[in-house]
Formats: sequence, structure tokens, C-alpha cells
Amino acid sequence: MSSRVSALRSVRIERRLDIPRWLAWVVPVASLVLALIIAGVVLAATGHNPVSAYRQMFQAAVTAKGGLTATFVYSTPMLFTGLAAAIAFRMRTWNIGGEGQLYMGAVAASGAGLALASWPRPLLVLAMMVAGVAGGALWAVIPGILRAYFRTNEILVSLMLNYVAGYFMYYLIYDSTSYWRDLSTPSARVFPTGKNLAAAANWPVFTAGSFVLPFGFVVGAVLAIGLWFLVRSTRYGFEMRVIGDARAAAEYAGIRTKRKIVSVMAVSGLAAGLGGASQIGDFGHVLDPRGLQQAGYGYTGIVVGALALYNPLAVIISSLFIGALSNSGNALQGPSFPAGLVGTMQGIILFCVLGGEILTRYRVTRRLPGATTHLAARPPASEVPRDGVSATEVAR
Amino acid sequence: MNRNIVIALIVTAIGNGTPLVLAGLGELLAERSGVLNLGVEGMMLMGAVSGFTVSQKLGGPAALVLLAALLGAAAAGAVMALIHAFLSITVRVNQIVSGLALTIFAGTAGLSSYVGQVWKVGGIHGLHQYKAVDLFGLKNLPIVGPIVFHEDPLVYFSVILVAVAMWYLFRTRTGLYLRSVGESPAAADAMGINVTRYRYAHTVLGGALAGLGGAYFTLALAPFWTDGLTAGDGWIAIALVIFAFWRPDLLLLGAYLFGAFVALGPTLQARGIHALPSEFFSAVPYVMTVVVLVAASTGWAKRRLGTPAALGVPYSREGG
Amino acid sequence: MQPGSFDPTPRGTDRPPPTAVPPAVEAVGVTKRFPGVVANDRVTFEVLPGEVHTLLGENGAGKTTLCNILTGLWKPDDGDVLMAGQPVRFRSPRDAHAAGMFMIHQHLRLVESMSVSENVVLGWSKRRGLQFSPRQVQREVAEVAEQYHMPVNPDARIWQLSLGERQRVEILKALYRGARILILDEPTTVLTPREADLLFGSMREVVTAGGSVVFISHKLPEVMAVSDRVTILRKGQAIATVGIGEARPSILAELMVGHAVAEHHRDVPDQPVGPTKASPPLLQLEGVRADGDLGLEALHDVSLEVAAGEILGIAGVAGNGQSELAEVVGGLRPYTSGAVRVAGVTLPSGDPRAAIRGGVAFVPEDRMGRGLAPGLSITDNLILKSYRDREMGMGPLLSRKKAGALARRLMTQFDVRAPGPDTRVRQLSGGNAQRVLLARELSSKPRVLVAASPTRGLDVNSTQDVWKTLLDTAASGVGVVLVSEDLDEVLSLCDRVAVFYGGRVVGVVCPREVSREKLGLMMAGAAA
Repeated sequence: MSSRVSALRSVRIERRLDIPRWLAWVVPVASLVLALIIAGVVLAATGHNPVSAYRQMFQAAVTAKGGLTATFVYSTPMLFTGLAAAIAFRMRTWNIGGEGQLYMGAVAASGAGLALASWPRPLLVLAMMVAGVAGGALWAVIPGILRAYFRTNEILVSLMLNYVAGYFMYYLIYDSTSYWRDLSTPSARVFPTGKNLAAAANWPVFTAGSFVLPFGFVVGAVLAIGLWFLVRSTRYGFEMRVIGDARAAAEYAGIRTKRKIVSVMAVSGLAAGLGGASQIGDFGHVLDPRGLQQAGYGYTGIVVGALALYNPLAVIISSLFIGALSNSGNALQGPSFPAGLVGTMQGIILFCVLGGEILTRYRVTRRLPGATTHLAARPPASEVPRDGVSATEVAR
Repeated sequence: MNRNIVIALIVTAIGNGTPLVLAGLGELLAERSGVLNLGVEGMMLMGAVSGFTVSQKLGGPAALVLLAALLGAAAAGAVMALIHAFLSITVRVNQIVSGLALTIFAGTAGLSSYVGQVWKVGGIHGLHQYKAVDLFGLKNLPIVGPIVFHEDPLVYFSVILVAVAMWYLFRTRTGLYLRSVGESPAAADAMGINVTRYRYAHTVLGGALAGLGGAYFTLALAPFWTDGLTAGDGWIAIALVIFAFWRPDLLLLGAYLFGAFVALGPTLQARGIHALPSEFFSAVPYVMTVVVLVAASTGWAKRRLGTPAALGVPYSREGG
Repeated sequence: MQPGSFDPTPRGTDRPPPTAVPPAVEAVGVTKRFPGVVANDRVTFEVLPGEVHTLLGENGAGKTTLCNILTGLWKPDDGDVLMAGQPVRFRSPRDAHAAGMFMIHQHLRLVESMSVSENVVLGWSKRRGLQFSPRQVQREVAEVAEQYHMPVNPDARIWQLSLGERQRVEILKALYRGARILILDEPTTVLTPREADLLFGSMREVVTAGGSVVFISHKLPEVMAVSDRVTILRKGQAIATVGIGEARPSILAELMVGHAVAEHHRDVPDQPVGPTKASPPLLQLEGVRADGDLGLEALHDVSLEVAAGEILGIAGVAGNGQSELAEVVGGLRPYTSGAVRVAGVTLPSGDPRAAIRGGVAFVPEDRMGRGLAPGLSITDNLILKSYRDREMGMGPLLSRKKAGALARRLMTQFDVRAPGPDTRVRQLSGGNAQRVLLARELSSKPRVLVAASPTRGLDVNSTQDVWKTLLDTAASGVGVVLVSEDLDEVLSLCDRVAVFYGGRVVGVVCPREVSREKLGLMMAGAAA
């Protein structure tokens, strides 16, 4: 047997026993890089120059005048929906209804903003936030209850409710004489639009030179820190972790899993609903069904959450990345930068993050012949049921 | 008059239900092999835009162009499914997230939109379309004429496909092996059935069918393309598989039922009946999906009926 | 030097004189290493046509590994496999199947939702072609079943069958494919004596028809009863091959363990302990009824009592209500009538948290996924029940420091071998995982411990550790309930044994006073 063969044989791919911390950074960053490369191939294949496209994107998202501000504007709703996805997916409760929950938050917050217009500004802003939270949470509790008590697939239910919420918004503005609709002028009666909120309902902004930071982003960051703490350091977070890993074990340990599922769905919906409130208070100041639906922030939140490996703190960073991507995509949209590229790139990023999981499961080692590891003193045919080491575990 | 409404409703229901039949059948086969693919919506959109693009850009006799368009749509769906198959079968990632990724990648604001932009097929009227044929010259028969003998070829194709799928699943060896792979991959593997191959084949086949389902929109229902035109049909197709207890025959019924929910609003409005706001009718299929899902899941002994036991669980033999 | 005076027949010398018939299958110098262990060390043995050849050895002696190599599941690091004198190289069990060799694993590989006949034709069929006719297949399966006197209903779904019947389906599956060599891996572990006899009958049918059977076992009586020849494996090596005519149980036992046989038996008291007036029962079940998973009543009017310091065994064939009983006491399964009391306090029905508070420790049958969260760390699993305690943190907070300290303490105390408390439980061996589970359950200072199949799938050392832990726990005054399908385990550890059949207690017996056969009859439904 030649030495080359034995050298080859000593290189093995084996299962990781522990996940090193650095991997939690490497996977998302490598995924982004890989996604840029793959998307570059797509661009090149359709006759575009990827390098100049990326340079333009960077300029549009960061260095251009108002670019960074716009990036934060795009990131703000994604921060909320990203948190919504992260918190639910961690527990393997697949809330993909962030979209609808954001709509309902926007409906509730704009309703509150209209109804309480006479309140002093701080109180009014707070009331809008509370309304947004309630709207989103209540909408999310529906699939939560159905999942927990009827074992109904929450993926499909939460998704269906996105459409229902969408049509509800349309009904309020386009097909009824609801409280939200502007009926004050004859032209508004012909071309339906929502009522504008009073100036007191506009959320404050923080400015530094030409850079403007929306209040909503600050709220989102605080929420992210809060959720991170909840997940990491509380009994509540511990219960989430157990349910996410093995629901049967959670039941066995006396954790009230059903209530917990409903409650986590509510927390998830709360985040998305707050995002809806921020859309009204920070940016739109009017309930605009078409605009909200076209933006699709709820679905983007899944990408944001996954890129953060479902770690709430990391969602702040990943929302900025994806926000920058959306910002530049919209700024550059045109013949040289087709619409749809942003979504395609988001999809590729998500695929890459998922594929990166393989790094968390296996490692390549060189093993000296005869050397053994004491821990693995059993045949490799471990018949452990495995649905994969989820990214959740990396982020912990 | 009332009878006409009912007939019109049924005809529209079959039209609206056919993409659900095709896409649902595809998902059913994938799930029978144990692979849950939540990317149906994305695969349908890719099929819709690809089929439409081919039908616009290719010259030649209409029948051939349409056939090529169908093939293009099926291929597009299959390629999308292949990504999911690779990630979920070979890399063994979480199938739910992988399917969602596929929907985002290919969906409304993703690759399907990109393709539509690059080939500039948005907002134009198509050159070719599958039209209803007068089968056996019987379209003028009362009631059954317009319903049974006056449909487009894809409707007949989808019904035949359901029959073939029934035979395949329950009367062929391959179908038996497929079911065993979805129920107990370890048992199938021990008996020399190639689990990976079965899963790949049926996931990709499922994608091709989803692509055809999408193409039905742009090649038969109405010949134009716009971003996100399937409007959640991919998701309803997934729900239908659960509702149908993983049986093609029940899937066909369910798809037409949902087609009727979709058709309800437009049919009534076309006849000047405006009892309820249009948004209400638009939301009906989605609400009904929720209702049907809850009904199918109450009582868990019933729920187990038909659910492939290994659905969504990656398989690896390890060692050896 | 081996202790004992018996000089075992050296390998090879006892080979029968060369005949026209070569061995059906033989292993020559097979070696297989796994990280840290040599599972097979130059093993040589042969199986003749028409014989039942037993591989005897303790758990971990390398019996299963050897058979996995024979059937091509694993490749040997060294050595050869020969069939009918010709070297063969199987790349997968499928190649072995094609050559007529089938292994029937402990974990049966059947599709539960499918019928017997569908399972039999899975992957191979007498008829070519795409079409598949259920009726035709049923007839074929019935024919084979009749030929080998193995009655089974080809129409029945697997989940409706008893374990013994399922095993028969596996054997039929092999015979339908024209198997010449059957390898049975510890097939009797979960069978009643009666079912085991039926199995032995089937084995005889196979060898009478000219086939060969490799029978893996560590139970001497059945080995004596059914084998033609026995090859003893110890620590991966083939120690000896003896014809059954020259074998005596004591000699086989000594060869198997390598020294004079140690007894696991504890000092069984002369009188069954049971609750007395002086020591009131710690655990009391009174007329308990509960439904099974499919909605049918699985426990009918069960009444039992367990005293402090007592181990009550629950014996029975799988699926006769023992699992449900364990779950009822653990609070996982609601009971529909009757009462469950711990130290006189009634536990609410179906409330695991109340059971934990009431002092019930529970080692569930399903270790990974139920008893342990496999993806979480050892620490997290150790605090799985105590995370609610006041000591674990202020208000809603959970102190990582305190959790870590507790984990390190328990890992030392219960000898959990792992790189550290952050290691995920999925990475642990079965024995270490069970130690984590027991550590957590016993750290709560329980009054009652319910252990369901606590040694299933564990290696010999871990099994002994678990047994010792159970005995120590009982000795410290805890009432222990041991649910097990392993009769030997139940008989050697328990003070009293309650036998379950059809969801009822058919009798409570003292291990001292009951024979295995009597117990077997009771498990099959005959009254005490």
C-alpha cells in the first residue's frame, strides 16, 4: 500500500461533535459572498456586467447621497419581520404570516393614529405602537391556536391569512366607506385613498448631518435586544429551546407546550405588527394597501431571520444587509438592472445559508492511523433520528 | 337562468381548478416519496413565465409552439425542484426552510419576475392559447355538454394524469416502492430500493407538474404574464394534498371545489349580483383553505390517514 | 491464561471432514475496527447447509458486526467472506439478498402502514413487469407461508400484528426471495416463550428444507434448545466452535464471559416486600383506566401498590398496556377513571408537571426525543425539569452559572463521560445518554421512580450501571417501578412482578416462586 493512499485515507470527513462559535459568523458571511457570486453568474448570463452592477449597488445603498438613510428606511420593516421569523422559527413554529401580521398592525396603528389624533405626540406614538402590537399579535394567534389545539399546519394557515389580511386592507380603502378611507373630497371618492394621519402621529427621527435614522429602527433594535435576552437568559427562552428541539421532551418535562406555541406566535406577530405600525408612523402616514403589499416585507423577513441564523441580535445586522440590497435594487431598477433580481438574490442567499449548515455538521480532519477518539467508541451507524443540526443551534 | 349560473360556475371552477390539479398532483407525488416541497408557488410561477416566453418567442404552427411551451414550463419547474431536491435530499437541510427559499427565489419578486423582465413578456397579449375543443361534437348537449365535452386539451390531460397517478400509486410495483420510501425509508432501503433516487425522481417530477400547472395560467386561462399571477395557488395546492389524504382522486375533487370558490365572486359579478364586496369573494378560497385544513386535522387518528410517515424527514443510512 | 479448566476445542480442528458440500457461508479472518474498538478480530467461522449455527456472545462481543459484514452492510477491514466456497464481495445487503442471504435485524424493517403481502414483495417480486396485482401477490405469499408452516394473514396491516407475527413476516420476506441463509439477530428478545417456540419451529423448517440459519443470542437455554453448532464470540474474537452434543450450558457461559459466571441476582428477600401496615405504599394505583393512542381503552381497571424500597416489575409482551401504565404515572397520559396516588396524594390526570411536583421520576421508553432533547446540551437536559425551581434564577430569569454548576456536579456524580457539559446529548452513546437521564430524574429526590425499558439498546457495562442505579435507588427508600420486556432483567431485579395482558394485571408474582415458563404463560394471557 503506497504512502499516498494511506495519506488520502487519513483525511476523513466526520461529523462534528461540537459547533465552534466562529462558525456562527462564517456561515452567513460565506453565504452572502457565495450568493453574490452566483447572482453574478445570473447577471452575466443575461447580458449584464456583474462587477459594475455590484459597484452601482454599493454606491446606491451606502455612498450615494441619502443612500444610507434609504437603506435604513428599507431595513426598518425588515428588522421587525426578521425578528418575527427568527423568534418563531427558533421554536420550529413556522410563522410565515409576517406579511399579514404587518398589514394588521398597520391597519390597527393607522386606526389608532386617526382616532386619537388629539392626543399629545408621545402618547399618540405610544398608542399607535400598542395598536400595531395588538393587531399583529392577534392575527398571529389565529394560526397559533389552530396549530396548538387542532394540530393544523401553521405554515399554510398563516400564509392563507396573509391573503385574507391583504383583501381586508383593500376592502377598507377601495371598496367601502370605512373609517380609514378619505372621503373628504370628490376626487378621493373616485380615486380611493386612505386618510392622512395628523402631524402629531408622525414618529420622530434622529438626524446626524445628512443621515436620518427612523424612530422605528431604534424601536426594532430595542425589541431585538429584548428578544435576544428573552431567548438567552430566561426560563421562557429555555422552554422555547426545548420545544424547538423535541416537543415530546417538552411535554414530558411538564412544559405547557400548547400555550407556549400560542404565546410565541403572539410574540412573533407582535414584532411584525409593530413593523406595520412603523410603516404608518415612520414613513407612510396613511394606510396604503397597494404599497404595503408590493413591498412584501413579511416574506423578506424570512430571509433576514434565516441569514441571522434566527438570532434576534444578529437580525439587526442582517436586516441592514437585506435592506441595502432592496434599496439598491429599487434605486437602480431599469433596463440594466431588472426587477426580480433582488428577490432572486434573496433566494440565493437563503439557499446558501441553508447549504452552509453542512459546515456545522461535518468537518474535514486528518487522522493519524491508529489514533482513536474515546468519545466515538461506537460504530458509526448511529441510527439517531436526525432532521439535521439546525442553524438555530449554531446561533445559540 | 339559475341553471346557467350553476353551469357557468362549474365550467369556471374546472378552469380554475386545473392548475391546482396539476400542481397538487406534483406535490402529492413528491410528498409520497417523503419530500415536502413548499416551493410550489415559485415553481408554478417559473412554469407560467417560461411557458409564456416560449409561446411568444418561438415561431411555427400553434400546436407545436404550445407543446414546446408546455415542455419549457415543465423543464423550468423541474429545474427549480432540483434545487430543493439537492438541498433537502443530499444536503439534508430543513425542508420547510428550503421550500420557502425556493418560493422566495423563484416567486413573485424573484426569478420569475426577472425572466419576465429580461424577455419583456410582461403586459402583452399572448400569441397562442389552448382553447376549448368540441369533444366528440357533443358540446351542445344540455348541461354535460359545456361541462364535460367543451374543455381545453389541458383539462382532459390533467384528468387523464390523475387516473394514471391512481394506477401508478396503487397498482404498480414502482408505486408501491414509492409509497414505502415515503412511509419507511429504512425498510425500503433494506430491501434494496434506492431511496435517494426515488426521492429525486418524484421531487423533480413534482416540479415539472407544478410548472405545467403554472403554464395553464398563461397558456390556457388567459394568455398574458404579470408578476405573481398565480396568487397563492401553489400554497392552496399544498393544502389540497393534505385535504385529499394524499390520494389523487380526492385531490381532483378538492381542486374543482376550490376552483368553484375562486369562481364564485366573478361569476356572480358577471351577472350583476353585487350582494357582497368583491374582496369578500376574493378571500373565500383562502378562508376555505383554513377551514378545510382545520377540518382535516381535527381528530388526530384521522389525520394520520394517508400522511406519509417519513414526510419531511431526511434519510441517511450512515456508515457502510 | 483463561480461568477454568475446560480446554475449548481450538478453532479449525473441529471442522468436519471435507465433503462434497462446502459451507453455505464462511468468514475467514474477518477484522473490523471502529474508532476505539476492534469489533471483530480475525474471526473465522462457517455455516453448513442444513444447520442452525448459533453465534453466542455477550452484548458488544461483535456478533452483530460480524453478521453485518457477512451481508455486505459493512466492509471488513481485513479478511474474506465465502459462500459455497467462493469468495464474495457484497457492496450492500442487496447483493447478499441476490446471493440468497438475509439478515433479520432486531429492529424490524417493515412498513407499518402497509399489508403483509405488500411488505413481502417490497423491492423484489417473482413476477416481472410494472403492474402489481395485490390479489396475485397475496396468493403467492400465502403459498410460501403454507410451505414453511408459518401462518400469517397476507391482508393484515403490519401495525395490527404482534411482534412475533411481524418477525414471521420478515422471515417470509426472505423465504419468498428464495433465501438459503437466514441470519436472525437476537430475535427472541421481545417474544413470549410461546412465540419463541414458534420461531424455533420456523427455523427448523428452514434447515429441514436445506437452508441454513445463523442465530444470534446470548441466552443459553434457547441456544441449547435450537442449535446444531455454536460459535462463541468474546471481545471480537471467535473463541471456539462446539457441536451441541458436546456443549453444556455452564461451559458455554464460561466461554462467553471469560470467567466463572457472575450472578446479577440481588439478595431477594424471602418474603415479598410489598406494602405492609408499617410502610404504607408510596405509589398506589386504584382502578385506573386509560385510553391508548388510537382511542381504544388500553388500561382496564388496573390496581397496583409499590412500597418504599421495593422494585415492582411490570412484565408483558409489548403492547399490553405497560407503556400506557408508565405514561399514566408520569402524567403524560390522562386516566379516565380511578386514582393514582403518590404518598397518599392523588395526582391529577394527564399533568406531567403535577407528577414531577408530586415526586414522580420517570425514565421513558423513548430515551431520545422524549426523555432527552437530543439537540440540546447536557446542561440543558439536566435542568429540563428543575429549570422552574426558585434556586435556578430570579423571577423569570434562568441563571446559566447555576445551571452549569449543577450540570458539572451531576456529571461527576453519575459518571457521564463527555467532552463537557455543552456537548449535545445526540452525540452521546446510549449508555451516557441514559446516565444523563437518570442523573436528572434522581437529582430531584423523587419518591417514586418509573423506569420503562431503561436498558434497551445499552451495552453490557451501561446495563449493569443502570441496574445498580435502580437497586441503589430502591435501597434509599424510593418506590421503583421497572417496566421491561426482558424477562431476565425483571426476574433478577424485582421484588414482585406484575404481569400485564390485554391492559389488565393478570397476576402479581414473586420472582423466587415462579418459573420462566409460568411467567410466559401468564404473559400470553393465562391466569396466575
